[in-house]
Amino acid sequence: MLNDSENSLRARIDKMLQDGLKTQTEPFPENDRQFATLLYALRDLDPKDLKGKLVLSGFTNYPYGEDRMRCQECMYYLVHRKWCDLPELALPVKPDWWCRLWRI
Amino acid sequence: MANLLWLQGGACSGNTMSFLNADEPSVCDLVTDFGINILWHPSLGIELGDNLQKILRDCVSGKIPLDIFIYEGTVINAPDGSGEWNRFAGRPMKQWVTELSTVANYVLAVGDCATWGGIPAMAPNPSESQGLQFLKRDQGGYLGAEYRSKSGFPVVNIPGCPAHPDWITQIIIAVATGRAADIALDELQRPKTFFQTFTQTGCTRNMHFAYKVSSTAFGQRKGCLFYDLGCRGPMTHSPCNRILWNRQSSKTRAGMPCLGCTEPEFPFFELAPGTVFKTQTVMGVPRELPAGVDKRGYIALTAAAKNAAPAWAEHDIFIV
Repeated sequence: MLNDSENSLRARIDKMLQDGLKTQTEPFPENDRQFATLLYALRDLDPKDLKGKLVLSGFTNYPYGEDRMRCQECMYYLVHRKWCDLPELALPVKPDWWCRLWRI
Repeated sequence: MANLLWLQGGACSGNTMSFLNADEPSVCDLVTDFGINILWHPSLGIELGDNLQKILRDCVSGKIPLDIFIYEGTVINAPDGSGEWNRFAGRPMKQWVTELSTVANYVLAVGDCATWGGIPAMAPNPSESQGLQFLKRDQGGYLGAEYRSKSGFPVVNIPGCPAHPDWITQIIIAVATGRAADIALDELQRPKTFFQTFTQTGCTRNMHFAYKVSSTAFGQRKGCLFYDLGCRGPMTHSPCNRILWNRQSSKTRAGMPCLGCTEPEFPFFELAPGTVFKTQTVMGVPRELPAGVDKRGYIALTAAAKNAAPAWAEHDIFIV
């Protein structure tokens, strides 16, 4: 089942973050050129390199910054599926997580 | 009977192609049913050389009354203001434009190049191109801000890249049948009947816009193209989703972001790399928000919409 495998992967990511995986939360891409640079870097990764994706995109398992940015309000987040729909990530996530590819 | 003359300056003929594809009414209908006498058109006129010059001279002298002068393309002034880069019928085209605009009852600028300068007027504008009465958003252009045709109208701007056939033919008919006074123009001299609403008005993706579900790749039928793919539908004045193209579809309905081609700034950001088909953001927030929406309101609306979004909004609901 798709849901089962997504739930399982979400739990795995959650565990990696809880275990203290250090990710690159800074710098936040201020404009589209910087955003695109990050996307290019993600495309260069092996699609199966989960850790690489999480590190490069700066995943956190908590809302980030003064504005408490989080997946829940991100344009790529599918609320019901709990899914990041950005093709370069395409990962199951949780609403209170965040990454530096966040955009509203 | 209304005499119509169509000339073309710095242009690609796109608006001519659009005009010739008109179907309700067709170009033939304009002639047979609406009494429009096409004196000459670059793709329809059969006169060449001296015979064409005679038509133009007769219009300028008043021997042939010129009811509607349609201009497609920019007025080219290069080099050094002489206009020699665009010679037509024995002289710089700009000289014909000056003289014909003086005697015409109505002047219509068709397409972005004739209205605002369009792509030819992009920096550094080597052809010294101008629109008839605007250069981008600045009023003035080649004929000057004070210009009025013999009927007292400024240039009627019908922008687009290209303009939709119906926008062209319906304004021609209104003018030719004596209903020009019914044409209300906006501050950019565009007919309000076409350019008061937004491209987004009537877009089939409006539900996805409302629930903040984004298309993330071309060809997706779910999602709105504004959030990620640079669609300018919420900020662009055009009826593209009310008066459909080929009576069938529109860019956004087909999954192609609106490029904002009816606005004077088109092509936006001078086509700099990374600006086409990508929503420009500052710290993750779109640089340009839907017309009339501020940043705080946009963020609040997004949070509420995301919370309220139904499950179906995340799926392709258009089953073939």
